[in-house]
Amino acid sequence: MSGSKGVSAFKHYRILLAKDLRQEFRSKEMLSSMGIYSILVLIVFGATLAQTSAKVDIVQMSSGLIWALLIFTSLLGLNRSFAHEKEDAALEGLLLVPMDRSVIYLAKATANLLFLVVVELIVAPLFYVFFLSGSELSITLPLVVWPLLAGTAGIAGIGTLLATIAINTRGRDVLLALLFIPLAFPLLYACVSATTVAVVGGAAIDFAYVPALALAMGYDIVMLLVSWLLYDYVVSA
Amino acid sequence: MKEQRIGWGQRLDKIMTPMFIAGVLFCVVAFVLSFTLAPLVLGAQVDTPALIGGQMVTNKLLLSQKIFYFHMPVAVVSMASLLFTAVYGALFLRSRKRKHDIRAKVATEIALVFVLMTMVSGELWERFEWGVWWTWEPRLTTYFILMLLVIGYFILRNAVGDPERRATYAAVFGIIAFIDVPICFLITRLVPSGVHPVVFRTDSGLAPNMLVPLLIAMLGFCCIAFALYRYRLRTELLLARTEEIKEQLELEGA
Repeated sequence: MSGSKGVSAFKHYRILLAKDLRQEFRSKEMLSSMGIYSILVLIVFGATLAQTSAKVDIVQMSSGLIWALLIFTSLLGLNRSFAHEKEDAALEGLLLVPMDRSVIYLAKATANLLFLVVVELIVAPLFYVFFLSGSELSITLPLVVWPLLAGTAGIAGIGTLLATIAINTRGRDVLLALLFIPLAFPLLYACVSATTVAVVGGAAIDFAYVPALALAMGYDIVMLLVSWLLYDYVVSA
Repeated sequence: MKEQRIGWGQRLDKIMTPMFIAGVLFCVVAFVLSFTLAPLVLGAQVDTPALIGGQMVTNKLLLSQKIFYFHMPVAVVSMASLLFTAVYGALFLRSRKRKHDIRAKVATEIALVFVLMTMVSGELWERFEWGVWWTWEPRLTTYFILMLLVIGYFILRNAVGDPERRATYAAVFGIIAFIDVPICFLITRLVPSGVHPVVFRTDSGLAPNMLVPLLIAMLGFCCIAFALYRYRLRTELLLARTEEIKEQLELEGA
């Protein structure tokens, strides 16, 4: 594990990240499945909300809906993210490399984060077109970027650790959801409240936005640190 | 060294039955005191001022508040047990000794029992005090996910075949899941909802005649939890020992 200096750890990180990105660009496995799945969730939202449009304040609800979509879509992606590492014992090969194993974690989490951001870039405009194009949005709308980013980073961070655990268990898809959703709950709660405030605007932006965002970021930092510290044990087990 | 440790365990095993009985007695005393010593508490608003117990009141005096003397100690014990899960999980990751894994597992089992007791008593409380079966209040929500995490811990254990790997995953998950405990404990301070009171604070929290039954109940449940933990641990350790001996015999026979 030791023997790798700062420079080479960063090099390992870059190589691993490039490997994941290259694999994705060639197979487009995760992005296509996550993208199509998220559009399907939008269609489901369309059907489930079809009877309520006159009464429900869609602006108030929109950030909750988009986070529901992101949580479920990310589950799909996280399940896939380690699938190809199991093929041909690729992960065992990685573990033979004399390097700090938390680098594997950081590279994988970054790759998952990037894929999720791409999916968000596809989904957010579609969500606007489908549900919000008739509504008036607050001028504070650009502020949604920060809770989205904090939430996505946390999802990728916790999710990567749990996906590594889930890959070696029976019924791994269900197990990942079972472990991931309760753990991500505080983060989800904080992100939804920050996003809602940014979308709706008004007086709440002054006192509710920053605490919620701070809560999300604090949770991110704690979770990422703990995951990063514990990853070596998980991946070597 | 090993002899000494066994002796220590045996001494604990000796006191666990008296401890269990003492815990039950403490709980009974607290139960009686909560009805005799602690006064009734003003609760939910009544629709119209009414004559209750010879007094005109606009608030109903709630007998259901007595749940509190059960509910809160049990909740505190459940959180304390999860601390043991996390600590023994960390010890396991450091030492790779099976006994730490067994201790972490047993602590989580005790936590599950107490979490369920908290949820049941909390549900009764909600129904009588707030008039609903469920509300998405921060403390409730974080405690609910705590319950899901504890259940998830056991599902995770059951889903891994290899014992070494199972112990590692469970230890890691126990440590991460513990992060929710301080969140749940502090959430009434961070996000005051007005529904869950902050019981432990420096300014006047509880009146002494309510604090005494509460503390006795807490002591009682701590004793019960510890005794249950020791009982269960002894069983588990004996089972592990039996397995070891069996394996040894098989090796020698082969």
